[in-house]
Amino acid sequence: MKNRRPGGRQNKLLSLVSRLLSGVVLLLIAGALPWLSRTDPAAAVLRARYAELEPTPEALAAIREQLGLDGGPLASSLRWWSAVLRGDLGNSWVSGAEIGPGVWQAVSVSATLTAFAIIVALLVTSCLIAPAAVRALRGLEHRGSGPVGVALTALPEFLLASILLVIVSVQLRWLPPYGWTGLETAILPALALGIPAGGLLGRLLADAISGAGEEPWVNVWRLAGAGAPVILSGVLRRAAATTIDQLGLVFIGLLGGAVAVEQVFAIPGLGRYLLGSANAQDIPALQAGVLLMAGAAVLIGTLTALARRWLRGGPLPPGSLPPAPEARGDGRIARFTAIITCSALLAILAFGLPRDPYAIEHQRLAAPSLFLPFGADSSGRDLLARVAHGTLGTITPAVLIVLCAIIIGLLLAVLGDISRGPAEIANATPPILAGVIIAALMGPSVGGAALAVLWVTWPPLTAHAASLIDEARAMGHIRWLPLAGMSRFEIFTRHILPATLPALLRHGMLRLPGVALALAALGFLGLGAQPPMPEWGLLLAEGIGYVERAPWTTLTPAIALVLTSVCAVAVAGMRRAPQKPVRAMAKTAEPAPAGISGA
Amino acid sequence: MSRAVLEVAQVSATYGRGAKERQVLAPTTFEISAGESIAVVGASGSGKTTLAEMVLGLRAPSSGRINVQGHEWAAPHKLVCTERRRLVQGVPQDPAAALVPRWTIRQSMAHAIARLLPGESAEHLIAQATELAHFDPALLGRRPSQLSGGQAQRAALARALAVRPAVLVADEPTSALDPQTACAVSADLLATIALSGVALLLVTHDPQLAARCSRTVRICAPTQSRLN
Repeated sequence: MKNRRPGGRQNKLLSLVSRLLSGVVLLLIAGALPWLSRTDPAAAVLRARYAELEPTPEALAAIREQLGLDGGPLASSLRWWSAVLRGDLGNSWVSGAEIGPGVWQAVSVSATLTAFAIIVALLVTSCLIAPAAVRALRGLEHRGSGPVGVALTALPEFLLASILLVIVSVQLRWLPPYGWTGLETAILPALALGIPAGGLLGRLLADAISGAGEEPWVNVWRLAGAGAPVILSGVLRRAAATTIDQLGLVFIGLLGGAVAVEQVFAIPGLGRYLLGSANAQDIPALQAGVLLMAGAAVLIGTLTALARRWLRGGPLPPGSLPPAPEARGDGRIARFTAIITCSALLAILAFGLPRDPYAIEHQRLAAPSLFLPFGADSSGRDLLARVAHGTLGTITPAVLIVLCAIIIGLLLAVLGDISRGPAEIANATPPILAGVIIAALMGPSVGGAALAVLWVTWPPLTAHAASLIDEARAMGHIRWLPLAGMSRFEIFTRHILPATLPALLRHGMLRLPGVALALAALGFLGLGAQPPMPEWGLLLAEGIGYVERAPWTTLTPAIALVLTSVCAVAVAGMRRAPQKPVRAMAKTAEPAPAGISGA
Repeated sequence: MSRAVLEVAQVSATYGRGAKERQVLAPTTFEISAGESIAVVGASGSGKTTLAEMVLGLRAPSSGRINVQGHEWAAPHKLVCTERRRLVQGVPQDPAAALVPRWTIRQSMAHAIARLLPGESAEHLIAQATELAHFDPALLGRRPSQLSGGQAQRAALARALAVRPAVLVADEPTSALDPQTACAVSADLLATIALSGVALLLVTHDPQLAARCSRTVRICAPTQSRLN
C-alpha cells in the first residue's frame, strides 16, 4: 500500500495516449515515406524509368501526378492507406509493376523459413533447459546456464550464416550454397536463424527455471507430496511467466535476423526484398515490405500478450511480479574470457593501427606472411591495417551511440509514461529493419546506421533509468530531503542522479559490444559504412566473395567479430559475479560509505 | 491556553482515482498547542503514517486543511509550505531516512541549517540540538551506518531539532529499536519536548508511550470498500 504510486489511473491513461499517438504517427510516417526520402521522389522515378528524359519541371510534375504524390505528405499518406485498405499495395517506382504479387510471394518464403527456424530454436531450447529442469526437480542448487548456451548465442546471425556457408557449402560441399529450391536449401538458413534464437531462449528459460526452482513454494509442493510432473509444470509456468516478454522480443528479432540470412543465402524472402528495394530506393516496394513485417511483429506481440495473460492468470499491472532473473554465470570464467578477448582486440589495434589501411601496395589476395600477418584483400590492401582501423571505425560510433542513448534515457525517464509508446515500438524494431528504412530514405552511411542502432538502444536504457530513478526516489533519505529545505531540482541533481548514473553507465558499457555488432551487421548488408572505409561488416562482405581462393579475407574480420561477440557475452555474464543476488542494483546504486565498521 | 500551533481540519487521504480510489485516512480533525504532545493511535492500515507524511508536507491531503501557526500549510492536492519549511520537522520510523548516508551527521545538520535558517551560527545550533537530543557530540563526524540504532535515532532527533521547529512529527520512532533502547529514547523524546516547548505529534502502537502524552487521538480505519 505504502509503495503504490498515487494517480495510477492517470499514468495508465497517459501511457495509453502515448501508445495510441505514436501508433498513429507511425502509420502516417509509413504512408508518407516517399516524402521523407532525401531525394525528390519524382526525380528518382524519372531517372529509373526514363533515363533519356530531361528532368524538366513539367516532366517532374507529370510524374508526381502519375505517382499520386501531389498534395503534400498527409494527403499522399492518407491516399496510400486507403489504397492499402482496399488491398492495393501500389506500383513499383523502378519497374512500374504491381507490388502485391511479388511481396506476398516473398512473405510466403519468409514464413516458411521462419517456421523452420522456430523448429530449430525450440529443439535447441529444450536441449538447453533440460539440465536446469532436472536440477530444479531434484531440489539441487542451480548452476549458470553453462558454456553451451553462451557459445550458441555468441555469433550474430549474419556471421553464423557466413561461417556455415563457408564450411558446409563451400569446403564440405554437403549442401547447396544458395537459392530456395527445396528442403536442402532451407537447412543452413534455418540453422543460422534458429541456433542463436534457441540459444538465447534456452539461456533465459534455464535461468528462470533455476530461479523458480529455488522459490519456497516448490518445497511446499514437494512436502505436500506433489509428483514430478506437477512440480515441473508449475516451475515451467512460473519461469515462462517471467520470461514471456523477452520470448516475444526474441521471435520479433528473428524477423530482423532473417534479412541478413536471406541476403547471405540469396533466398527470395521478405528480408531480401526489403534490402533490394532500399538499395534501389524503390519506396513503394519498401513501404509494402515494412508494412507486412510490422504486421508480423504486431501479430507476435499480440500472441505474446495473450500468452502472458494466460500464464499470469489475468491482467496485472506492470511491476507486480518479480523481475525476470538476469543471466547468471561463473564470474571468474566470465572475467577471464573478457580479459583474454579484450587483450586480443587490443593487440590487433596495437599492431595494425600504425599501418596504412588504404594503400594498395601488395599483391592481390596475398597469403598471410610475417610481414603481412593477415594477408592482403582483393585490391592488395593490408588486411591487418584494415581490421585494426575497422575496430576503431566500429567501436567509436558504438561508444557515441551508447552515450547518446544514456542521455536520451535519462531525459525520457524524467518525462515518465509519455515515452512509453515510442519506447515499445522502438524496442520491438529489429535494428536491421530500422537500418533498411533509414538507408532507403537517406542513402546508406555510417551516420544512418548509427541512427538506426541508436533507435533500438535507447528503450532498454530508458526503462532502466526510469526504474533506477523510481528506486532512488523511494529511498527513505531522499523522500525526506524536502524536510531539510532542498528544492526538487537540487534533490534530483545532487542526490537522485548520483545514485543512478553509475548503474546506468555500467549498463551502457555492457551494451557496447552488442551495439558494435549491430553496426557491423548493417555494414555487412551495405546499409552502413561505404567502401573504401575499413569497417568490420563491410570487410566481411568484401571478403566473402573470395572465400574459396583466399579464406583469410573472410577469416580475419570474422575473428575480430567473434572476439567482440564472445567479449559481449562474457561481460554480460560478469555483471553479478561476487555480489549478493537480487537487490544488488539498489544497494550498489548508493555509494557505500567508506569504512563500514562492524559496529 | 496558547493558540494552536498545528490545526488539522477534516483531513483525509485517498490513493488512486476513479473506480480504483481508496480512502487510506478517514477525515480527521485535531489541534496541538505549543509544548503539548499528542499520541496518534489506531490499528494498522488506519492511515497513521499517511497522516504523519501530510503534516510533514511530504504529500498533499485529498480533502481538508492543515494550518501551522495560523498560516495555511497544506490544502487539497497542493502543498504550500516552502517558506516555513523549518516549522515542521520529523523523526522517521527508520532513522536512516532522516540522514543522507554519504554525509556525516554534522554535514546533514549543517546542510539543513544552511537552507532553513540562513545566517544563524550552525555550530551553535548543532551544539544546542545535540544536547537536547542527548546525542554524543563525539559521534557528529560519523556517518549513519557507523551508528547503532539508538544513536542513529537520537541523531535524527538532533537533526530535526537543529532548525528549531514548532512541530515535531515522530512516526513510531522506537519501533526499530530493542525494548531497552526504545524506553530510553522515548523517555528522552518526551523530556526534550517538555524542555524545548515544541509541539509533538507522536504516531505509535505502544499504549504505554501513548499514555505518557498529554492527549490521544484515535483514528479509525476507513471503510476499505471502494468509494463512489
